[in-house]
Amino acid sequence: MLIPAIWLAALVFASELTLLSIGFTLTYLTAKIPNFAHGTYAGVGIYVSYTFAKIWHLSPYYGFPVAFVLGGIFSVIIYKLIIGVLTNMGGGAIVLTISTLAIQIFLTALIQIYAYYLRDRFSTYAMMFLLREDDFEFAGFPGIFLVSLTLTVSLVLLLHYMLTRTKIGVAMRATAEDPELASVLGININQIQLFSWFLTGGLACLAGAMIPLWFQSSPQSGAAIITSIMAGSLLGGFDSIYGSVIGGAIVGMSEILLTTWGQAFIGVWVGEWRPIVPMIFLVAVLLIEPRGLQGVWSNFAATQTGENFRKAVGLLKEE
Amino acid sequence: MLQDIALGLLTSDVAAVTGSARLIVDIAMYFGLFVIVAMALNFQYGNAGIPNMGCAVQVIVGGFTVSALTTRLLFTMVEASGLQLQPWATDYDWTYNNPANVKIANDYIQTNAMFGWSMLLFSLAVSVILGAVIGWIIALPAIRLRATYLMIVLITMADASQIFGRNIPAISGGTLGMFIPNVFAWYSGDRTVLTAVIALLIGLVSFFIFRTMLNSPYGRLMRAIRENEVTVGSVGKNVVGIRRNILMFASGVTALSGTLLAFYFSFVVEANYQRAFWTYWPWLMLILGGPGNNAGTFLGCALIVAMRRVIIVNKWFLQEIFFFPVAYFESVLLGLLLILVIMFRPNGLIPEKLLYIPGINYTMMVREEVEVDWRGTTTVQRGFSSGIKGIFNVLGGKKTTKKEDE
Repeated sequence: MLIPAIWLAALVFASELTLLSIGFTLTYLTAKIPNFAHGTYAGVGIYVSYTFAKIWHLSPYYGFPVAFVLGGIFSVIIYKLIIGVLTNMGGGAIVLTISTLAIQIFLTALIQIYAYYLRDRFSTYAMMFLLREDDFEFAGFPGIFLVSLTLTVSLVLLLHYMLTRTKIGVAMRATAEDPELASVLGININQIQLFSWFLTGGLACLAGAMIPLWFQSSPQSGAAIITSIMAGSLLGGFDSIYGSVIGGAIVGMSEILLTTWGQAFIGVWVGEWRPIVPMIFLVAVLLIEPRGLQGVWSNFAATQTGENFRKAVGLLKEE
Repeated sequence: MLQDIALGLLTSDVAAVTGSARLIVDIAMYFGLFVIVAMALNFQYGNAGIPNMGCAVQVIVGGFTVSALTTRLLFTMVEASGLQLQPWATDYDWTYNNPANVKIANDYIQTNAMFGWSMLLFSLAVSVILGAVIGWIIALPAIRLRATYLMIVLITMADASQIFGRNIPAISGGTLGMFIPNVFAWYSGDRTVLTAVIALLIGLVSFFIFRTMLNSPYGRLMRAIRENEVTVGSVGKNVVGIRRNILMFASGVTALSGTLLAFYFSFVVEANYQRAFWTYWPWLMLILGGPGNNAGTFLGCALIVAMRRVIIVNKWFLQEIFFFPVAYFESVLLGLLLILVIMFRPNGLIPEKLLYIPGINYTMMVREEVEVDWRGTTTVQRGFSSGIKGIFNVLGGKKTTKKEDE
């Protein structure tokens, strides 16, 4: 194999986490709350893949579009029934955040019940599983490596195109910036909100559908990944989509690489401490620069060197 | 039933507390524990607006105080008294010789009641201090920032504390957990009844402490920070410092609950201090009862604890209704109740009351619509004294009737 397995794992996890971080940041931009239920959408995706692979004996890749649509529907239902209603009632950020926590608890319990039902009904290992044997292999690479990397890169490019070139993307950015002003300009805020919730839920569920093809999954893994998502989003600056792409990739890579290298060079016991890695990122970012990479970039851009650099790269036009 | 509990408290019959009497003791114990956590949470969120999502960290600190510090001190003192303990220096010995050592220590405490009491007081005192220290540490990254950042950091800290407990056997025996010496070994009756009584007493004392603090000028300062921290900062108050102090104080009180839980079980393992259990349930109690109001916290706490314990005790009867384990039903119930309460009773069962301020009857001012005819004070009666009188009428809550000239 050309690339060591550690790097494959790190890249797969980084691409999944990038998708999740983008969705988390989009929710934060539109609703102004950290959505703790975001990781649980990934849990839904995990079980879509499992159902396709082990119950219907199909390739889990057929489940990807289903996962996208299902996650979007879940997300829209949550927005329609709970988040939207609470926002109209005038609930503050804290109340809304607690409600997303409640959604996380509720959804995780539903996933657990579904997994238990599958185990009971079909006698499969639905509580703790890995779908690597259902993966294909292409040119010596595991399929999920190629698929997750291409899917993430193309989705990021597509999102960039959508947010800068299409009408609905510009409307989304306007709604995130100032909802009242956007509605004055004739943008249907409700539709834009619904669309962005559908998009975030869909992306998260799609990322979740990729997880069990490489990593061991259980009903709780969706809720457990939320720390990594938040660390990635916070590293990116919490309200910058491009920042969250970089942040998610960095946190995802370092989570795998640091623990694996730690196991190799320090001792096997390091593996147990893997969940600490995103927490270290979280605390370090808040202590050093609470605005994350976005803040670092804007600080750098304000200096003379930064201005020269931007001129050289072509980001700043000469007047 | 009550006689049974009294019997368990007073006599040497260990098996006296059974059946529904056991359920009552259990509910009393958990009520005492959760009321401490929920009241401290009410102090932070309900009155000062600090969303502390890390109650589990503070509770786990109480548990770890007992397992890591009290037990070590106790073993040292037992050895100093001349008894021979099994080796407990290394991690391996600490975990595997733990039951035998605890047995010897219990025999020692059986004859030394004062020693048991002093160990209990030592754990309570140390857990308060350590809880406050941990409160300071976990608040460090985000106390200056927006409330949502604080929530994120505290939630992840709750997970981190469990990972520390799981992977460092010196704290609480790692995943195996460890027994702790029974500081009530000198007591011939049922230990759990005594623990429940102590938990309820500590809950009561902390209630009076919180109540006094809320009715003092500091309490009004807290409410002012909750309503508008920019205004409070503009009149020269150190908002970040006050919020940190509140968080530290409440953390110390919350840690007491973990200490008492350790003595109730005589066992400490990190899995007993899960985030869902020690953070989300107290939040549900707080929101159900009504934030900003200790009576509401008591009510919410009593309702939820009674419901949970009754469900757990009658688990096998409920199991026949569901096709899935009842444990999952508990999570469904927790999530659903939280959402429903937030959506349909945002102010809780008992709405918030105004704070008591001695000497000023300002509740009446707010309740009655005081209408002042300012024209009367300025045009008809131009005197200085009448204008002052009008202002005093407003402050005293007297109703001045409008002139009927329209």
